[in-house]
Amino acid sequence: MIEAVKVEGLSYSYSDGTKALEGIDLTIYKGEKVVVVGPNGAGKTTFFLHLNGTIKNPAGNITVFGRSISEMRIEERIHEVGVVFQDPDDQLFMPTVFDDVAFGPVNMGLEENEVKKRVIKALLKVGLEGFETKVPHNLSYGQKKRLALAAVLSMEPKVLVLDEPTANLDPKSRADFISLINELNERDGITTIIAMHDVNALPELANRVYVLNRRIVAEGSPRKIFSDWELLRENNLEAPDVFKLFKVLNCFGYSSDDLPLSFDEAIQILTRTIEGKDGHIHLHVHEHTHKELSDVVNSYNHHRNNGKK
Amino acid sequence: MEYPEIDAFASLNSPIHRFDPRAKMLTFTLLIFSFAFVDDLKIALYGFLFSILILLVSRLPMGFALKRIRMVFFFLFPLLLIMPLTVDGEELMNISGISVSTEGLAYASLIIIRALAAVTLAFTMLATTRFDMTMKALYALRVPGMLVQMLMFTYRYIFVIIDEFSRMWESMQCKGFRLKANYHGLSIFGNILGMLIIKSYDRTSRVYQAMVSKGYSGRPRALINFKMSTKDYVLSTCMVLIAVSVHLINWY
Repeated sequence: MIEAVKVEGLSYSYSDGTKALEGIDLTIYKGEKVVVVGPNGAGKTTFFLHLNGTIKNPAGNITVFGRSISEMRIEERIHEVGVVFQDPDDQLFMPTVFDDVAFGPVNMGLEENEVKKRVIKALLKVGLEGFETKVPHNLSYGQKKRLALAAVLSMEPKVLVLDEPTANLDPKSRADFISLINELNERDGITTIIAMHDVNALPELANRVYVLNRRIVAEGSPRKIFSDWELLRENNLEAPDVFKLFKVLNCFGYSSDDLPLSFDEAIQILTRTIEGKDGHIHLHVHEHTHKELSDVVNSYNHHRNNGKK
Repeated sequence: MEYPEIDAFASLNSPIHRFDPRAKMLTFTLLIFSFAFVDDLKIALYGFLFSILILLVSRLPMGFALKRIRMVFFFLFPLLLIMPLTVDGEELMNISGISVSTEGLAYASLIIIRALAAVTLAFTMLATTRFDMTMKALYALRVPGMLVQMLMFTYRYIFVIIDEFSRMWESMQCKGFRLKANYHGLSIFGNILGMLIIKSYDRTSRVYQAMVSKGYSGRPRALINFKMSTKDYVLSTCMVLIAVSVHLINWY
């Protein structure tokens, strides 16, 4: 496997001395979908700013496809790693949609025709074709979000970093955005690194999860991370609703080691399990069921309990 | 809250709209300076009429234009009251011992007319060009990149700051705040303005990071392709002639 991004011993403190990142080591391979989760203020955004060299930091080494990011020229860096930030208003600073999407390619020193080609391609990809002369402040939030993505896609980065891509979007826009990211990953082979709190959307966007809380606290498949409720509790995280529901079903005697993480997966697994048991499954309540239930509820509703205390 | 969109009618079609942005910028600026230095009331009036003619040719809605131009009038109107009383000269009339001078009145009118002519021209210039085109014209005219970028960001983020302000304002009103001209009201208003500055400051650093992420290095680079046609040259020549002639008339 080709190493897309390799971070070694990265530490960072804010100017007031607060530690933001401590000894980060991680490796992300080409074509992977990685999600970084962690509580608010865990340093996710700061970490992302390091990945394309926006924050210059001598403490720690970041290599992208085998080359150190600090040794690359700016034109090369932005071609390797593109970062889409959370608030689209911060990223759309040019007078028109066209200029915004052209900003990166123009800075890369591309020919005018190539710039135009890339703008059209990027806008088409996010479904904003024909918006070229529109003014960013007249777009809806969802459109701004997609435009911010287009403005990074036009640089054709090999690694795409997204900070909270689904936050504040309506359900339709959110679903569209998720499938767009997946399409970029699967069809165009772009490695995606995403920070998000939306655990119900996470399984669709992650092969692998890193838990970041100033340090890398844990790493693994979404299933592994969500099964470790102590880890979740310590880092203000949560498991997807479907996953918790199947934990509950296990208490009622539904036996499957495969716990689904998403709605679609739940349908598949449920169908497979029921078919495997001659067309029906047996749920029951025993003496010990209540005890098991309360254990599951306690372990996965930790935030609610904390609130009460 | 209403947005101060100067280029809301930039998509209309008129000879002024079609005028090459660079030539428009140069010739209009020349006209503005030329009219601003006229010191004959009659000629200044001609200049003002000419700028109104340009405004009419541009087909911009009158209400849209008046709303902006009248602000300048309100700003300068006090001159019309003060100057006749303060400038010495021939007495026009005497209101219970206070003399009103003809020179003062004439001088005030000259200032106001020159200003209105200049503002009408500047307004027409900006309102008939899409804002991004104005910026590109400035780049093409070799205006320092720093200045163009400052203008560009001011215009882009005015809208965001207005939104931010109205959100804060609404939330204050939801909590029962009513602005009154007393100490409490003013200090709260001061807080909201201070907050706006802090928010803007935070936003600038985020915007800057986003720009650096897209390869910004301080050097302005823009795709510019303007082409001057014969019509542009003819129009430019007319404008320059008018700008020069208002001063030549004076000599003869």
